[in-house]
Amino acid sequence: MGVLNGVTVAIILFGIGLLGLILRRDLVIKLLALGLINSSTILCLVSLNARPDGAPPLLQGNGLGAMVDPLPHALVLSAIVINFAILALALVFVMLLVERYHTTDSRRIEEEVAREEGE
Amino acid sequence: MTVLALLPLFHFALAPVSLLQGRLARRLSALAVLVDAALVGWLLASIAGGGDLGIVMGEAAVGLGIRLVADPLTIGFTLLTLLIEGALVAYLWSEAPRAYFYTLLHLLFGAVFSTLFTRDLFNIFVTLELLTLVSFLLVGYERKARQVWASLKYLVLASLGMSLYLIGVALIYYHTGTLDLDAIAAGLPPGPVPRWVWLGSALLLSGIAVKSGVFLFSIWLPEAHARAHSAVSALLSGLVIKMGVVVLIGLAATFPVSVSLQVLGAVTGILGLVYAITTDDLKRMLAYSTLSQLGYVILGVGIGTAASLTAAGSYAVAHGLFKGLLFLAAGTAIREGGFRDIAPLIAQRGRVSRGVRLALLVGTLGIVGLPPLAGFAAKSLLTHATAALPVQGVMFLMSLGTAAAFAKLGRLLWPGKGAWGSATANLSFIVLGLPVLFFLPLAWPVLPRALAAAGRSPIPYAESLAAIVGGYLLHRWIRRRPRRALPQRFLRLEEGVMTILSGFFLVLILVWLQAR
Repeated sequence: MGVLNGVTVAIILFGIGLLGLILRRDLVIKLLALGLINSSTILCLVSLNARPDGAPPLLQGNGLGAMVDPLPHALVLSAIVINFAILALALVFVMLLVERYHTTDSRRIEEEVAREEGE
Repeated sequence: MTVLALLPLFHFALAPVSLLQGRLARRLSALAVLVDAALVGWLLASIAGGGDLGIVMGEAAVGLGIRLVADPLTIGFTLLTLLIEGALVAYLWSEAPRAYFYTLLHLLFGAVFSTLFTRDLFNIFVTLELLTLVSFLLVGYERKARQVWASLKYLVLASLGMSLYLIGVALIYYHTGTLDLDAIAAGLPPGPVPRWVWLGSALLLSGIAVKSGVFLFSIWLPEAHARAHSAVSALLSGLVIKMGVVVLIGLAATFPVSVSLQVLGAVTGILGLVYAITTDDLKRMLAYSTLSQLGYVILGVGIGTAASLTAAGSYAVAHGLFKGLLFLAAGTAIREGGFRDIAPLIAQRGRVSRGVRLALLVGTLGIVGLPPLAGFAAKSLLTHATAALPVQGVMFLMSLGTAAAFAKLGRLLWPGKGAWGSATANLSFIVLGLPVLFFLPLAWPVLPRALAAAGRSPIPYAESLAAIVGGYLLHRWIRRRPRRALPQRFLRLEEGVMTILSGFFLVLILVWLQAR
């Protein structure tokens, strides 16, 4: 594997996601950036434990060489489901906020909420 | 021991039932408290009988199972969970929220019980994410815009933290080939700490810190805890935050994180107090005080000896009791008095019923550490566990600040005359208030040696009384000074992401320094 392996790509994606989360004010884009961060951690988990020359982890294996470790795949499945749930629920709450304030701009929502709380 | 698996599974099974049988949900929750009490009794009995305290779920033979373990510390948290559950069911009885609320409650308790017993890094990830999702829905339960916004921030920041944690898990698994905390501790190479260990430790610690109320990481906490429904605030501040602490205790026993925990604990304790002292909003003040109290606990975890871990765990349990009580009482006080701020509430104290004022009094005395209440017992255990003078100094400052913050409540605490208020609410105050009052005799069967050693010298008594008096004087002094608003900018979402990031680099440097 060269320099551009799965882990480096994951770190780059994580960084892009962080930038999106900090710099973009649109809540939907922020959530997309969060999705990118979560996916990059999954990429990291998979590619750290990858064995390009390994055999599929099946019980009736072909007996050729070492098997790929199946546990990271099981972990990744749960993590993907959790991330899906988080994004779905967050989008529902963004919808509630949009109904109320007619904007997805996080800065403006912050100001409106602060003003309401001050009253 | 099957009971360890039964406790969470029972609640997970009850959640859909209370959603489908909406009219029964309230009675089902009362039944759940009784069943939980029976299960916890079974757990205690089998521990007293010297039974095996662990169970492996799944493929134990090939080392892939998920181990559930109960130790004395988790027993304390189990009892706390049971008490808070009982208090909440009583508190919500007359309010009768929708069945959906009870469904969330059962999911939350199921997640809490599974977090308590697990010793598996990935299982911790799953249960903490479940806790995040359920508390997210609970904070936004009333659908008020400020709640929705606070809980959305919470979800985004917590999810970011858990991604850091998951990368840490990936790194640790790559190098050790196991996810079990004890197996990792046994498998760590002796001698100089390799790079992946400190990198992994920093990632794991930062991820959990987001969930457990550390100042740099948990800036979502004040808004989420202050704006939620009071029952939810009590649950989050009393219980959910403590799950992060439970995991931190597990991590501190395995990874080289003690220096970073001590620094984070001191920073959290002092900054949380500065904000608690200067905040007028009652529930917000309680939320900031949660931050500062967590500083105490994390400092104790960071010291890292067996005695200090026990002390930190007891303090976390004690804090769960009195902060739960304070939030429940504050919610009723705000509803009856009609104000969120402390000063007008004191002016309207005649409208606040007597039971509520008494509950506030007990909670306040507990949190400022009046002997022999819960706060005092746990604090003196913690001070006893360390000999380092700077750490003791920081702890004394924290007690002083806590007393100053709660001195603001002033005459709101005087029970005086008036109606007693609703019976079910008072029952919930009793459920949490009695253990605060009688923490010492109740903790005796669990911690006799530690308590006896800490209670022998007169220093803790003098120290806590000095802290209370000093805190009151500090409050008088602050009240006469002109007020300057502290910065609130860092509570925004973007700043939250940046503080988590900078906190991660701080932890990375501290872990690296300790590893060298």
